[in-house]
Amino acid sequence: MNVVLTPAMIGQVLLSGVLSGALYALVALGLALIFGVMRVINIAHGPLLMLGAYVTYFLYSRAGMNPFLTVPVSMAVLFVVGLLLQRALVFRVVGAPELSSLLLTFGISIALVNLTQLAFTSNLRTVEYITGSWIVGGLALSKPRFIAFLFAATLTALAFLFLKSTRLGKAIRATSQSREVAMVCGIDVGRIHLLTFGLASALAAGGGALLAVIVAIQPEMGGVWTFKSFLVIVLGGAGNYPGALLGGMLLGLVEQLASLFLTTQLSEVVAYVLLVVVLLIRPSGLLGGRQT
Amino acid sequence: MTSKVLGALVLAVVVAVISVPADAQGPIRIGASLSLTGTYAEPGTFQSEGYKLCERDLNAKGGLLGRKVEMVVYDDQSQPATGVRLYEKLITEDKVDAVMGPYSSAISEAVVNVTEKYKKVMVAPLAATTSIFKKGRKYAFMVISPAEVYLEGLVDIATKRGLKTIAIINEDTLFPKASAQGTEELAKKAGLKVVFKEAYPKGNQDFSGLLIKLKAANPDVLAAATYFDDAVALARQMKELDVNPKMTAVTVGGDLPKFQELLKQTAEGIYGASQWEGTLPYPGAKEFFDAYVKEFKHEPSYHSAAGYAGCELYGEGVKRAGTLDADKVRDALLALKTRTMFGDYQVDKDGFQTAHKMVLLQWQEGKRVVVWPDDLANGKPRFRR
Repeated sequence: MNVVLTPAMIGQVLLSGVLSGALYALVALGLALIFGVMRVINIAHGPLLMLGAYVTYFLYSRAGMNPFLTVPVSMAVLFVVGLLLQRALVFRVVGAPELSSLLLTFGISIALVNLTQLAFTSNLRTVEYITGSWIVGGLALSKPRFIAFLFAATLTALAFLFLKSTRLGKAIRATSQSREVAMVCGIDVGRIHLLTFGLASALAAGGGALLAVIVAIQPEMGGVWTFKSFLVIVLGGAGNYPGALLGGMLLGLVEQLASLFLTTQLSEVVAYVLLVVVLLIRPSGLLGGRQT
Repeated sequence: MTSKVLGALVLAVVVAVISVPADAQGPIRIGASLSLTGTYAEPGTFQSEGYKLCERDLNAKGGLLGRKVEMVVYDDQSQPATGVRLYEKLITEDKVDAVMGPYSSAISEAVVNVTEKYKKVMVAPLAATTSIFKKGRKYAFMVISPAEVYLEGLVDIATKRGLKTIAIINEDTLFPKASAQGTEELAKKAGLKVVFKEAYPKGNQDFSGLLIKLKAANPDVLAAATYFDDAVALARQMKELDVNPKMTAVTVGGDLPKFQELLKQTAEGIYGASQWEGTLPYPGAKEFFDAYVKEFKHEPSYHSAAGYAGCELYGEGVKRAGTLDADKVRDALLALKTRTMFGDYQVDKDGFQTAHKMVLLQWQEGKRVVVWPDDLANGKPRFRR
């Protein structure tokens, strides 16, 4: 019954880990942005990802679009949804105790999931666009996952570039560092909040759109992504953007290695045990959290 | 509340129940709760349509004991607790004459406590878990084959083909676990060597670690005790990771048209287990199929057929007993041995199904082909490589 581990098997799981890690990083970056800028923990992040996946699904199945080309569309749609949510609801809890934002976004999340169920039923849906794998040096490289990985890496890089070098990106980082000083410097903080929520929703949607090509989608798919993103940003350091990247990769690798060396059942436990350990040793995350 | 007050209340209820005059001319009302919304909505709705058609057909043949039959169906929202409440309501408030089972093992297991308490015969057409019928309950009857034998056909075909090794994986919940255990026992008995075994948590979407180990174990046969979502994810990832056993079977999921709709080419060659198919040569199966399509504008699933057969069986029990009396109907159903449009029916002294046979399907060129057992098959299994 015992399976002997070979280097090829370990190579294969490392590959799987990196492929899923990039997606984790992309999605978690959105959550990290909102938390960094507004100190809001967005429980609705996963459901926003789910909406992004549905946009891709419908564009693919009804309009016959190439699913990978739907990624920017899905992101744009969810950017607008994010703006509306921020404008209508979330701005009310910015600066309020964290429990209020938790409750509010929890409510939004329930509403989004149930409305989706009502509108599209809970039936599973898939985007069967590219399946199968390339065999590279004895390793199976999943076609849809690899392409999704390239997209996720590109989007994450673009998001970093945006934060690093554009004026708006700098304003977002400034607001994240200190709201008051940013205001004094003439940054319209309300607008930055709006933009941040839109951007974060778009990142979630990007993840959702890519996920739609890999796994079957349904209205409740988002919940686990909220938790995984949360895990990622706490691992990397809440509010620390490169931390999301590191945390994402780490989570991807740990999950895959655990499912190889232990069992699939234990692999999820291992990720959370890792979280506890990191919090014990470095309470502010691996790269350190936002200074307060 | 003191015990005196409680006693008086109970007495009042009992008096109220007794004083309701039995209207011999009124319809026989049969109550059930079904999962019309929630996670089990799809199979639950199929089952309710099966009941509806059965009600119609029974009445067309003059009803039961000379009275019309009327189904009273509520929605339990796929929640066992709601089911329990609804069966209490059906029996104590609505005072239905008889009950039929809900959808799923989980809800059947919960509500059977209520029906036993009030001594109501409950034919449970969609409960496949053995333990429900092995807890000393007297009035519950099983219609479909138990979880343990879902993949009997897979093991049988593999052994006849001379395959040697098998890997067994399952979702770690009640039904798939029982199914995996049953398959393991069948495989060992047939001389197959179990080279890999692993369970995964409910809702799991990422099978890569598991599949990499499985690939290294290189089994001839993969038996996966799944529900629908995991079966879909598993099939896709097997293709991504280039895992190709000579035979791959899933328990729940592989039998549904949706499986192929979602997976397209990826479904090709995969085996699924089914309790019933419209093409099977059972008496009345074709008539049922046609009538169903006419009535509901879509094809029945095995849930529809099991619901219909369960209701028909209860009717048969009442006819043979000549009364609605629970103990007499129970005796009649225990003694009954028949073949319906759903297949064979015979139960042991616990109401546990012993005669009904599963069939094994294989997806061949986008179609479901029955490949086992031989006497019901309409095609031959195709092997990879």
